[in-house]
Amino acid sequence: MSERVTASTELGRAVARPWSLRAGFDRFGMILILPLLLGLGAILSPAFVSAGNLSNLLLQFAPLAIVAMGQALVMIVRGLDLSVASMMATAAVIATSFSGSDRDVTAIFAVALLIGVAIGLLNGLLVTKRQVSPFLATLATMILLQGFRFAYTQGAPSGNVPPMLRVLGAEKFHGVPYNALMLLLLAGALAIVLHRSAFGRRILIVGGNPVTARLFGIRSDLIMIACYVISSCLAVVAGLILSGYVGLVDNWVGQGYELDSIVACVVGQVSLQGGRGSILGALTGAAVIVIISNEVLLLGVPIQVQLIIKGTVIVVAAALYARRDITSGQ
Amino acid sequence: MSAAVGARRQLPPWLRNNAGLAGVLALIGAVSVAGAVASDRFLSFNNFLNVFEQTTDLALVSIGQTLTILSGGIDLSVGSLISLTSCLTSGLINNNPDRVMGVVIAVLALGILVGFINAGLVVALRVHPLIVTLGMGAALQGVTLLYTLGPVGRVPRGFNFLAYGRVDGLPFGAVIAVLLCVLIALLLRYLPLGRQIYALGDDASSARLVGLRRTRILMLVYGASGFCCAATGLYLVARFGVGQPYTGVNYTLASITPVVLGGTLLSGGKGGVIGTLLGAFLIALLNNLLNFMDVSKHYQLVAQAVIIILAVSVYVERRRTV
Amino acid sequence: MLRLAGISKSFPGVRALAGVSLEIRPGEIHGLIGENGAGKSTLIKIIAGAYAPDEGEMTFADAPARWSSPREAKQHGVHVVYQEFALFPQLSVAENIFVGHERRNRFGMVDHGRTRREAGELLRKLGASLDVDAMVSSLSVADQQMVEIARAMVHNVKLLVLDEPTAVIAGREVALLFELLRRLRESGVSVLFISHRLDEVFAICDRVTVLKDGRLVGTGGIADVTRERLISMMVGRDLGDLFPPRAATARGEAVLRTEALSVGERVRDISIEVRAGEIVALAGMVGAGRSDLALGLFGAMPISSGAIYLCGRRVPSMAPARAIRLGMGLVTEDRKSQGLAMQLDIAANISAPVLPEVTRRGLIDRRLESDIAAQQIERYRIACHGPATNVATMSGGNQQKVIIARWARICRSVLILDEPTRGIDVGAKAEIYRIMRDLAASGVAILMISSELTEVIGMADRVIVMREGRVTGELAGHEIAEESIMQLATSERAA
Repeated sequence: MSERVTASTELGRAVARPWSLRAGFDRFGMILILPLLLGLGAILSPAFVSAGNLSNLLLQFAPLAIVAMGQALVMIVRGLDLSVASMMATAAVIATSFSGSDRDVTAIFAVALLIGVAIGLLNGLLVTKRQVSPFLATLATMILLQGFRFAYTQGAPSGNVPPMLRVLGAEKFHGVPYNALMLLLLAGALAIVLHRSAFGRRILIVGGNPVTARLFGIRSDLIMIACYVISSCLAVVAGLILSGYVGLVDNWVGQGYELDSIVACVVGQVSLQGGRGSILGALTGAAVIVIISNEVLLLGVPIQVQLIIKGTVIVVAAALYARRDITSGQ
Repeated sequence: MSAAVGARRQLPPWLRNNAGLAGVLALIGAVSVAGAVASDRFLSFNNFLNVFEQTTDLALVSIGQTLTILSGGIDLSVGSLISLTSCLTSGLINNNPDRVMGVVIAVLALGILVGFINAGLVVALRVHPLIVTLGMGAALQGVTLLYTLGPVGRVPRGFNFLAYGRVDGLPFGAVIAVLLCVLIALLLRYLPLGRQIYALGDDASSARLVGLRRTRILMLVYGASGFCCAATGLYLVARFGVGQPYTGVNYTLASITPVVLGGTLLSGGKGGVIGTLLGAFLIALLNNLLNFMDVSKHYQLVAQAVIIILAVSVYVERRRTV
Repeated sequence: MLRLAGISKSFPGVRALAGVSLEIRPGEIHGLIGENGAGKSTLIKIIAGAYAPDEGEMTFADAPARWSSPREAKQHGVHVVYQEFALFPQLSVAENIFVGHERRNRFGMVDHGRTRREAGELLRKLGASLDVDAMVSSLSVADQQMVEIARAMVHNVKLLVLDEPTAVIAGREVALLFELLRRLRESGVSVLFISHRLDEVFAICDRVTVLKDGRLVGTGGIADVTRERLISMMVGRDLGDLFPPRAATARGEAVLRTEALSVGERVRDISIEVRAGEIVALAGMVGAGRSDLALGLFGAMPISSGAIYLCGRRVPSMAPARAIRLGMGLVTEDRKSQGLAMQLDIAANISAPVLPEVTRRGLIDRRLESDIAAQQIERYRIACHGPATNVATMSGGNQQKVIIARWARICRSVLILDEPTRGIDVGAKAEIYRIMRDLAASGVAILMISSELTEVIGMADRVIVMREGRVTGELAGHEIAEESIMQLATSERAA
């Protein structure tokens, strides 16, 4: 049985060129997969390219994309946030806990974001101050939120989603969904923060190596906690949007989003190892998932096969990108 | 292996080596005391048997999960595999007593096979087990739903012996779980491949340099995990009389808690199955206590989460990978 | 024993080895030297069976050797001890020795008693006394190396390859190692000894081979060649003096002073001072606590008692951010895991400790960052493709230059360097020494931790020696010599 060892990183005397078509493709190439997928969709079914379907795609894309961006930040600092789906559901429950009219929308956002910050802090503190594995810490907060949520609603949630949220979640502005506009805003802001700001630079350094970051005088712990807080808050926003989309009250809003967001990030080349990733990557990954789910749906493929396809996509995508990681898995 | 920057609070050596077991035993003790205070029926033999019985399903799947975590990976396909095996069991047996033996063996073999496939994909595609098993889990759930969209088939009356039967007064299923645990503990200690699981989980690059056969180790580990999932599926069918396509959903993430509570490091290389068994027992005991205290089922979840948080905050992980 | 003929190996974009032929005879200690990037580690991996050569033939013990895996090479008697060690920190000594080849009883099951017994015997044969049940992570580096060598002994080793074995040990431990190697040679085992330390190569090797840029530059008996000739073969030119001349100027005030400083768990009661413009070497064996002291001075490790004074003023609680603000710098021991943000480029690595300097209104001014980096690249002659070059693709020597450039730029008071030239080729070493001298001349106080005595003697104005966490002595001027340093580094403490 022969064993091939991955080539060592010592490249002898050769030094890579800083920019080249190859490097540019590496960083941004993944986005090319989108027109391919869209084209595929058009071939598969005429219904795919209809204006209705495309804007529906956008409607589904926004919440996942928002959560994926938060997950990307956490993954960059070598963490994982499994509590996002539970956070979304909690936000949705909060949305229906008030009078159901528009005057409570500010209160809803305030309370939900407060809880988001608290959970993010809890996650961050557990990971940084108590050295708990992110997997476990966010798993625990996920269960914690679930418990409180069920206890609060007694398992039978009731109430109405305020009309403003329903507009945000489901309506369109000249054909462009409101939630997509919100996504654009958030994505733009986060991209600037991650890729251009000093804070974002610190995130990348911490993600690359928290020990090294500390030696540069960077407060690694604070940076990590901040990422978890941002992730939770983004999950809150996504949850509120999704509750508007769904329209009725549900304890399980956002179910599956925690794993979906991780998959979106992996497909979007955000490294599980930390230190590498981009907002564009998270968005692309989310788009891939949403488009493929949609195409599969349009094909009339039953949910069972959808799941199988999703599973295969995850593994294949990771396999393709694994080679890029110098310290890939095991 | 350069020293870590900054000091970390650490326990004295004797405690550190057996920290996991000591920790979980301490927690069991604490919960027992609380239980004794809450109700005098708590410490009765009957209640203890009850709890022992309640431990079975989680224990079975977590034992397999311990191996995957020890090797430095994880198996996120367990839930779907449990669902699949339980549906196939009741669906194929379909109340026909002659088929029982054959189906049981076939299902266990299927579990092992799925494990082998997981291991194979991890090695061939060079992808982290987290991703491979995640994808496999999704695919398996799809396959399960292809087979049936709702509860399917029946098992003959005698089958529920697996879950409700008593052997010398002890619950049969739980005894099987304990025996399985002991068997695997022996495997880990006395099988050369078993020792190598620890090495692989401890330092994968050293394992490569030393020439350990990673493929074989992973096949053992994921095959065993698959076997345990199949066993869990069988047990659940015995318990409920019928298999359901979503029966395993919660077990995926739930199977990790007893492993961690029992002192196995999530990063691999240290720990064991005895601790996991105790961890599963602890969780069942805790639920039992909360029932006694008449706490709503929803707050039980909260309590579980709090226990996890407390337990892991106390022992410091060596390094974080997942 | 081992014969390589025309071995070539290429990786995408790089030709690591070209037509290398060498011969290692049975029962000889053969040295392999060359600069970083010369192809030594590729060659080792081919010999070990981890890589397959693209061209060329390998014969081992008169039989063609085309290993398909390291396991196969080991079975034939080739065993490699890598520089980074392939040990399992949480496993015991005995388990580490036999991992993959567990001792079994007659049922094929692991026999733990036998494992421990035989491990003990192996270690005794090597002259090491270790607790076979101890966890490897608790051992000293020298002891860990013993475990690695014991592992080699498990399988009737015919060729033992040691990659930089003396990089992390010194003095008495090196002597013990050499004795062991001599004994192995007597019993017919061949040793391939890869090292940067020419003194040691001369001390222990029978023959030596020099690699440069993937080619064989020379091979022959050690008695037939001089040190200067070896250096010029390695580097391709005569280096002249490796160490720049010492400054004749008078020293300034004490910039850094400690008073009964205790750091972490091991470092105790350190009272030293470093003056402006002087280079103070901190010598001692590995494990003496020097790196801990450095981290403590920089605020990266908690101080248990004592005080640090910078420019005469007490600094009550040091932290890296504050140290940087006060003009301190720390070049850590381990480039890759502590010194560089490996996934970023040169510009980002240079600006990392002083991000506010390149930040305008919360955003990073990339142009400014790039200009600063370009300046440093030119000043320190860093081989790269510009400020946007990813540091992971650079050679060790150039990476170290980036790190030093980063700190040299912002250091006003003290620069602490921990093993600054470890694993770096001779050419780059000379440049780094020059940079250090220039920096000292500009008034910075330099504290250099080093285990390489030639470096200490060549660079230091003063030497402070540590042992087991305490200062055992100070040497200055003419007192600085190998014997005096070693004596202070290994002196027995009074009962």
